[in-house]
Amino acid sequence: MFIDVSSLKKSYISGAVVNEVLKEIGMELDEGEIGVILGPSGSGKSTLMNIIGGIDRGDSGRVIVDGVEINNLNNDQLTDYRREQIGFVFQFYNLVPNLTVGENIEVVSNISKSPLNVDEVLAAVQMQDKKHRFPRELSGGEQQRVSIARAIVKNPKLLLCDEPTGALDYQTSRSILKLLQQVNKKYGTTILMITHNAAIAAMANRIFKLRNGEIVEAALNQATVPAERIEW
Amino acid sequence: MPLNKRVLRILKENMLRYVGILMLIILGSYTFVVAAGISQNLAGLVTTFTEGHMQEDLSFSTDKAIADSVELEKASNSIIEEYMSFDAALSDSLTLRLLSKTEKLNIPAVIAGRELSGPGEILLDPAFARANGYPVGSSILAAGKTFRVVGYVSLPHYIYPLKNVYDIMVSPNNFGVGVINREEFTGMDNVSVIYSVRFNDRTRSLNQQAAQFRERLHGEGITESGWIDIMNNKRARMAWASITGLKTMSVPVPAAMFLLSCLIIGIVIWRMIRSEAVIIGTLYAQGYRRRELMRHYMAIPLLLAITGGVMGSVLALPSIRPSVMAMVSYYNVPVVDIKLSFSNVLIGILTPVLFLGLSSYLVIRSELKRSPAELMKGGKQKTGVNALERALKLERFKFSTKFKLREQLRSVSRLLFLFLGVSSASVFMLFGFTIMNSMDYVFKNSTGGTYRFEYEYAFKELQYGKAPEGAEVFSAGRFYPENDEGIEFYVTGVEPDSMILTLQSSAGSPLPNDQTNITKPLADRLGIKAGDSVTFINKQDGKPYTFHIDAVADSYAGQFIFMPIAEFNAQLKLPENSYTGLWSTKKLDIPDGRLSGTKSLSETTKAMDELLGPMVSMVAVMTLISCVVGLIIIYLVTSLIIEENKNTISLFKIFGYRRREIQSLVLNSSTFVIVAGFIVGIPVMAASMGAMYGYLGAMINLVLPTIISPLYVAVCFAAILLTYQLSKLLCAKKVNAVSMSEALKAGME
Ligand SMILES: Nc1ncnc2c1ncn2[C@@H]1O[C@H](COP(=O)(O)OP(=O)(O)OP(=O)(O)O)[C@@H](O)[C@H]1O
Ligand SMILES: [Mg+2]
Repeated sequence: MFIDVSSLKKSYISGAVVNEVLKEIGMELDEGEIGVILGPSGSGKSTLMNIIGGIDRGDSGRVIVDGVEINNLNNDQLTDYRREQIGFVFQFYNLVPNLTVGENIEVVSNISKSPLNVDEVLAAVQMQDKKHRFPRELSGGEQQRVSIARAIVKNPKLLLCDEPTGALDYQTSRSILKLLQQVNKKYGTTILMITHNAAIAAMANRIFKLRNGEIVEAALNQATVPAERIEW
Repeated sequence: MPLNKRVLRILKENMLRYVGILMLIILGSYTFVVAAGISQNLAGLVTTFTEGHMQEDLSFSTDKAIADSVELEKASNSIIEEYMSFDAALSDSLTLRLLSKTEKLNIPAVIAGRELSGPGEILLDPAFARANGYPVGSSILAAGKTFRVVGYVSLPHYIYPLKNVYDIMVSPNNFGVGVINREEFTGMDNVSVIYSVRFNDRTRSLNQQAAQFRERLHGEGITESGWIDIMNNKRARMAWASITGLKTMSVPVPAAMFLLSCLIIGIVIWRMIRSEAVIIGTLYAQGYRRRELMRHYMAIPLLLAITGGVMGSVLALPSIRPSVMAMVSYYNVPVVDIKLSFSNVLIGILTPVLFLGLSSYLVIRSELKRSPAELMKGGKQKTGVNALERALKLERFKFSTKFKLREQLRSVSRLLFLFLGVSSASVFMLFGFTIMNSMDYVFKNSTGGTYRFEYEYAFKELQYGKAPEGAEVFSAGRFYPENDEGIEFYVTGVEPDSMILTLQSSAGSPLPNDQTNITKPLADRLGIKAGDSVTFINKQDGKPYTFHIDAVADSYAGQFIFMPIAEFNAQLKLPENSYTGLWSTKKLDIPDGRLSGTKSLSETTKAMDELLGPMVSMVAVMTLISCVVGLIIIYLVTSLIIEENKNTISLFKIFGYRRREIQSLVLNSSTFVIVAGFIVGIPVMAASMGAMYGYLGAMINLVLPTIISPLYVAVCFAAILLTYQLSKLLCAKKVNAVSMSEALKAGME
């Protein structure tokens, strides 16, 4: 298993109130697969993903990614883990506003050991002609393309996407999903994606439904659908 | 208005930032009130003293006594008084100049003890008395007599008690003056008699009146010597160098501080309003008036300006008296009273209020002008890209370089603030070092560099023949340019094969003494180049003489033209083989009575060493202040950069950037601006230094070179870099404190 999570717990304590955000989570994902996490707001999707991405830590349990138990890593090791293995795509793109498209991608390629060529990834997301634009001069969908290019330029083993289409319209969303699928095929990148939209699950190999910090359903999808054929 | 509760909260949240701005304002007000206070008080004291005690306009000695001085007084509408002077050697290195008590001119002011009444009494110059241990009531043995010290005295023509008028530094350990009754001079040999003159008509040009007076003297067949106008008399004028220096400093330094505070407060307020655009829009929509919001945002700059202005001014007031008293220990004037000027305090408070108020007002107005709808959408504009950023073509650079450049260019005003701040701190710091360096250079140059003599003897009368063993002869005459009597200098005839005068060309090769050489400060002042023929008026006979200048000597030993003595004598129609002075490598046994002055280089060395002590501490203080200002400025800018980049820093952390990498990107982005600011500071400093020295030259006839020592520049640079490192250290924590959730929670963009 590429991702192997079991008995993962996480709670926030504020005053006397203990908020159990993740209760005994267990999930698995194979290398090269696309996984989708579904669930209502506040169910703990982001928290789970952040722990897998090495941004946050679980309280107890096991989180193994590519054979490494990341709950045991110290902060510096976690930094290296993120630096070498993980690509992030956010709902609101998080591009650096005063850097051009090309430079935003360099933010990541700058620190990776064997990055892909910046122009190549720009071409892969069909943004090669906007390399010198600033984020503000791009549409939301275009910004998300840049953010995907930025995430894949280091050729990560695992790409984590937290509601990548959450701020986009239907058509644009579909093209972004298609792009992610292409990345998965072309580079063999394992992808874990959070979404509110159950229809999107059709393109995933595995689907995890989260409710109140528990996985209520983990399904294997044998017949994945190409993104352009998904409708909602 | 409940909104105003926020003001204190805002100030508290960014405590260090506002404290930094406050410090700049305090420094500005403080320097203004102190510098203006000292210069006004000192100027007041000097003016009151010189006017009240009838400072002379000129003095001179004569070959024969003026027969009818009353007649001459009437004819020239002046007061003439004659006094006696005798240099009593107390030891090998200590001279006390005894002066006879005068009644009409240069009236002594007793500043401690009592007036002279009986015989055997003396009034002493306080610095001399203190340095050599002669308190009031003690006795002193001088010129073979014992005097009882009955008091301390200030003299209008010895405010800065130099032994020779052409010296630069006083040294109470080597020289001082004392006032005794006229009768005490009986029995002393070779007493000099000196005439002081003061014109009654203070409105007419004193120079003209002086020239006419001299003609009258010549008309009576009297030849004068040692003629010195008050304007060329450093003993009387030197204090004005400090007064003017402080007066000049009292404007640009505070102005720079206020300007910097203006810029930074403008930036801070602007960013605050921008980030609160949505709230402002909402408040507008709910019926708040622009005036009310304006008042709210103006509260912060005004609060800072008033607090800073009041604190600076109030802190300054108690430091004025001790500073003036410290200066008075150099410049001997009676301290009548020290006034603390209310209007200075008012200026010290109102100027920052005006500066900060106006700049903030303009910024706030331009932001609040927009419509509520526009404001409510406002968040977006804050990430706009300016034309400069857009124009940048950075393809070729490394990522880190690109990032740093973009970071700095993101806000032109912030860039300007950092640049100006670092430049002015560097200028101020370099200023101190360069003054010290100039003094040091002039001194080294005039002792070791140019002259190889140990003693200089100037004779009252022409001498004939050859110099004794180990000495060389010279002849000197004072000259001035045809239309500017204020510039006075010596033309000196020297032995053509002199071993004592060693001049160098600017290229560093030795200049022969068998030609006419001009020293660089004089050449610069008069605008003379090698090859020029120039005409000057001889002070002695008022006639013009023309000299052909062969070379400019790179020597700051003073303002001189040197030429072969034979040529000099021929031109001035002086007898062959005559001379007026000796340069000697050892002490010569010449009776004091034949001499009009002596100079010993080792005494100068001592005086210089004495001066260097306070000089070093002055430079240290200036460096410290510059570093504090630099620290404030760099810290303010860096903390702004961090705040603006919270999201980016957070993102970098998520992407796996290491602490050091983030710190290097964010904190080091200012490096090139700081280096540029420092480099630009050097010529700015040189130019302002040159201007100041030029002023000084005109004012007290003292020319100093602006010599920028690479060593001191390196020291200053190191100090600035150290400051930079310190501010980075302070800010590193802030960078580390940015959490990864910052970016995760970030909304739009
Ligand atoms: N730093 C925190 N401190 C306290 N509680 C937190 C913190 N972060 C998240 N939570 C809580 O944890 C729960 C899960 O949050 P999480 O962000 O994982 O939800 P989510 O499933 O991603 O929701 P959404 O779909 O709205 O993004 C929420 O109830 C939230 O209030
Ligand atoms: Mg979430």
